[in-house]
Order: sequence, then C-alpha cells, then structure tokens
Amino acid sequence: MAIRLERRLEIPRRLSAAISAFFIVLAIIAASLIFELLSVSSYETLSKILYVFTTPATLLQAVLRGLPLGFAALGLCLAFKMNFWNIGADGQIYMGMMAATGIVLMHVYYELIPPPLVLPAMVFASFFAGGLYCAIPAFLKSRLGVNEILPTLMLNYVAILFVDFLIYGPWRDPKGFGFPLSVPFPEYARLDSFLGHTAYVGFPAAVAVAAVLYGLLQKTTVGFEMRVLGQNVEAAKYAGVRVGRTLLTGSLIAGGLAGVGGLVLVSGIIGRLRPRASPGYGYTAIIIAFLAGLNPWLALPASIFFGGLIVAGDVIQATLNLPFAAVQIFQATIFLMIILGEFFKRYRVRLVK
Amino acid sequence: MIDVGWVSSVLAGAVAAGTVFLIASLGETYAERSGVLNLGMEGMMITGAAVSYIFTNALGHGAALLAVVLIGLVLGLSHAVFSVSLKLNQVVVGLAFTILGLGVSGLITAAEIRKRLILALNPETPERLVITQEAAKLPVIPIPYLKDIPVIGPVFFNHNILVYFAFTLSVVMWFILFKTRFGLSLRSCGENPSMADSLGVNVYRIRYMSMAICGILGSLSGAYLFIGYQPFWVEGMTAGRGFISLALVILATWSPLRAILGALLFGGVETLQFRLQVLGVAAQLPQFLLMLPYIVTIITLTMLSLESVRNRVGAPAALGIPYTRE
Repeated sequence: MAIRLERRLEIPRRLSAAISAFFIVLAIIAASLIFELLSVSSYETLSKILYVFTTPATLLQAVLRGLPLGFAALGLCLAFKMNFWNIGADGQIYMGMMAATGIVLMHVYYELIPPPLVLPAMVFASFFAGGLYCAIPAFLKSRLGVNEILPTLMLNYVAILFVDFLIYGPWRDPKGFGFPLSVPFPEYARLDSFLGHTAYVGFPAAVAVAAVLYGLLQKTTVGFEMRVLGQNVEAAKYAGVRVGRTLLTGSLIAGGLAGVGGLVLVSGIIGRLRPRASPGYGYTAIIIAFLAGLNPWLALPASIFFGGLIVAGDVIQATLNLPFAAVQIFQATIFLMIILGEFFKRYRVRLVK
Repeated sequence: MIDVGWVSSVLAGAVAAGTVFLIASLGETYAERSGVLNLGMEGMMITGAAVSYIFTNALGHGAALLAVVLIGLVLGLSHAVFSVSLKLNQVVVGLAFTILGLGVSGLITAAEIRKRLILALNPETPERLVITQEAAKLPVIPIPYLKDIPVIGPVFFNHNILVYFAFTLSVVMWFILFKTRFGLSLRSCGENPSMADSLGVNVYRIRYMSMAICGILGSLSGAYLFIGYQPFWVEGMTAGRGFISLALVILATWSPLRAILGALLFGGVETLQFRLQVLGVAAQLPQFLLMLPYIVTIITLTMLSLESVRNRVGAPAALGIPYTRE
C-alpha cells in the first residue's frame, strides 16, 4: 500500500465548501484539545464564544471590532490574487491611523480644514498613506525584482516605531498629563457621531467596497490583468499586461484599504491615537483573507467572525481569567486547518496497492 | 560619562543582547540555505522562552534547556510536515506557527495554568517559585585568564554558557555549511533541488533536518532571551526579535560567520538605545535607532536584487519554493 497524490484540475464548489467546513470543525476540536490538555474547560470557553454571536449587543460589537480587520482583509484579497505577498497590512494600518490623526491635528491646532471636511479628508489621507506605504515594496518588486515578503514585514516595525515617535514626541496631547496619547478626536472627526454607531456607517461601507472589488476583479480589464499576473507572470507579460503598472495600482488599493482600516480603528473605536493601537490586526487580516478563499464577499462574514473572537477574548478574560492568548489559540488552529484544507482541495489523496 | 569603561560595558551589553539574534539566525540560515523560509521563528522563540520560564522554576536550568530543545524539535519538524511534505505555502505556514506560538506561550504562562503545570512537573516546588514572574538567571562563567585582557576580556569572556555556545556554534556551523559534503548537499537543496535530487541528495530529508535544527535553535534563542538575558516574564516578550533574526540572516547574506557581526550590530542598537536614554541624550532618537535594523535589511535586500551581488554571496535561489519530485 502506498499513498499517491494527484493534482486536482478543478474542484466542485460544493466539495470545496464541505472541505472548509470539515476543517473548521477540526480546528475547534484541536483548540479544545489544547485547552483540555492544560485543564481549561473547553466547554466554557466555547460557550462564551457562542454567547458573543447569539447576543445582539455583543454581535454588534463583533461587527464593529471586525471592521478594521475587514477593510484590511479586503485589500489583502486583492493583493494575494495578484500573488503579491503583502505581510505588511499591519504597517499600512498604522500609516492609515497616522494620516487620519494628522488631519485631525491640522484641524485642531491650525484650523486649516473646516469641520465638515475633516472626516472626508481623513478617509482620503488614510487611504493614500496606507496605499503609498504598500506601493514601496511593490515598486521594489516591479522595478528591481526584490521579493516583497520580507520588505513588507520589516515595514510593519518601521511604521509602529514611527507612530511611537510621533505620539511620545510632537503629537502628544499637551493637556494629557504626559500620557502618550493624541488629543481626543472632536465629534465630527468620529465615525460613531453619525447614526450613533460606527458599525452603522462602517458595515455598509465595507459591503460597498467588497462589491467594488468584486466588480473590479471579475468585470474589468484591470482586474483581469491582476488575476493573470497572479497566476503566471511570464504569461501576463506575453499577453501584454503592463506588470509594473498593474502591480502598483493593485498595491495602492490593497494598502489603501488597510489604511482605511486604521482610520476605523482610531476614529471609530478608540477615538484618539495611542501607541501600539493595532495588536497585530494586519496579521489577523491575512488569516481572514485565507478563510475567505480570497473572495471579497466571504471576507465580510469572516471578519465578523474574527471580530467576534476579539470580543470573546475580552469576555473570556473578564469571566474565566484567561489571557487574550486563549483567542490566539483559536486563530492559529483555524489558520492551520484552513491551509491543511487547501492541501486537500489541491490534491486528491489515493491509496494504491 | 563616556569613557573606556562605558564603551566596554556597552559592547558587553551588545554581545549579551546580540546572542538572542545570533542563535535564532543560525537556525534560520540553515533552513533558508536548504530552501525553506521559516516565518514561524517568532513563535518558536516565544515558545522556547515560555517553556524555559516554567521548567526553570519547576526543575532547574538543566531540565529547562532539555525541554526547550525537545519542544523546538517538535515545532521545527511539524513546520516541515506542512511546508516540505504537504508543500503548503511557507509564508502562510510560518505565520500560523508564529500566531500559535504566541497563543500557546501566553496560555501556559497565565497565572492559574502556570501554577498547575509547575506543580505537575514538581509537586515540591516552593510557593515562591510558583508565583514569581522571574526565574534564576544562568550563572555567568568568566573564562580564566582571557577575562583579564583589557576591554576584550569583559566584552567577550564574562558571559553565561549560552553566549559561548552561540559564538562557537557560528564557527562550527560555518565550517559544516561551506567545508563539508553535508553542507554542500544542504546548499544545493536551496540552490537547485531537482539537480541535487538527480545527484542523489535526498532533498526532503535535508530539508527536514534543517528545519529540525532551525526549530531547536529558534526555541533555544527564546530560552536564552529569558533565562540568559532578561529573566522577567512579560507576555509577548520576544517583541519581534524573531523577525529581526530573519532580517539578520539577510544582512549576513546567509553566512553563519557574518551573522556574528550582524548580531553585534543589532545587539548594539538595542543596548545603545537604553544607554542613550539613561544619559538623556536625544530623547527622540530611540525609535529611529530601533528602526535601523529593519531599514538596513530592506536596503540589503534591494542590493541583493543585483544579479552580480546575488551570485557572489550565493543567495538560495529556490528559497520558499516547495520541492516536488517529478
């Protein structure tokens, strides 16, 4: 008896969904096993997570906390479709937060922008800050052939440290008793001042972005070129795709969306800039993009799911006295099982005599 | 303020801080030379730190180092199952291992669980060791005679055993990689795996072995960070050091010997940052100083994009590409 792997040429959608579902169940079992091994009740942990998704108030909270993740993940769906391995969504989120705060400070300190224009300017600035930050490694890749994986990763730390510098230095609130915080954002610079809740503005916006991305990828020439680029660079060049331009455009959009995620974080959730405001949301967004199979529509429910895990982390911390790491275990097992599922989607495993 | 004593104490600090990066980057160098990119280094490092914390308090340093090596071996080999045998995308597998490591280390060091684990390992453990956030530091072993050489003595010969081990290991691993048949086979797997295969090298086995070494050293670097350098537990205490080690591998252009220089540079940056703050010099500078390793790495990567530079240092051409035997 031997095991033989056969590459599948095509996979039926039903089978693909079934494999995903099977491995997500497997992930929950694996996480439960780890908990039981450490004699933590997996029943209680799981029931807290279930509670978050079945209670309206916490569910709304899950949508809210999922928004920054969702915007970043939507961008990553596009980047990964182009085979652009952007590990730098976290840095792009920081750049978005920085740009949004910069606009607020320009308004508060120098009154350069009239109040009604502050929020639109913030959206614009955070998109371009995140986008241009993502375009740096894209430029290095298209011009010089530098692999993007390590530069995007390294730029995360540069962005985190730069925001640290600003907030411990020139951007520190002079009336903030020396704490490393920016001034609190005024009412009209906050997403939750419209309709009463950030999720009421943010979620429709995320749906619109998903629709635009889906349309871009499936219906336009640029989108087609991006997909071809992701499948085979040589073929793309042969077919006349302007590789550099396509890559730069795509990375600008991908990083820009992560930047908007940063905007949601400072303007919709925290209300001011503080150091280390994103505890690795850019990495979580990578898991979400994979869970969604790089499909923008599926990225929305996936980000709500991970937003819910963050909320559940708070609940578990408060009630079971366990660290946030308990949630990271879930994230990691789900991630590992999704990629394991990818293997079974790609290959057919046969036993041969 | 700044005199010979100050300089030599900064340099000694650079050696102590740099050893974390050195041990990890030696492991990563072997993994990458054989063609596997291990982005899970951060997770392996933090797991090693957490395991050394628990085992040192329950059973002492010897048992801790043994446990760290074993857990590193398990992590390295399981990474290889995903990345070498199942041929899954190495970036994704690595990130998953990083998140898993952060989760596991955070969970096993949470007060309640840590208490249970320590008491299960050694029911006799005194209460003080069960609740403490610290652990006994590895003893400093000054090398007789050598430690008395002015400047060089206190900088290099007044450290704990893992520091000496790391520096010796760089030389040994350099020798194996460039002067032995095994090293040639290992490099050929990262350079051109199908050619290596046709010449009779078992690519899968070499990559598994490299990942085992990488896992052990990654986990050991975390143990050094905790019991050899900063024996006070903080959740997520590696704080990106695993990723800096990946940067160091690039800066040293995949050479275990050049890794020593890079480790001293990165260790120096870390030490200098604290010292300058104490002196009150340039209060705004620490962030920019800390950015240096990352920016230098991006510049190095850009320079490596030149064909001639790449050929001279022998960058592994098949890095990150799973090998399938035809």
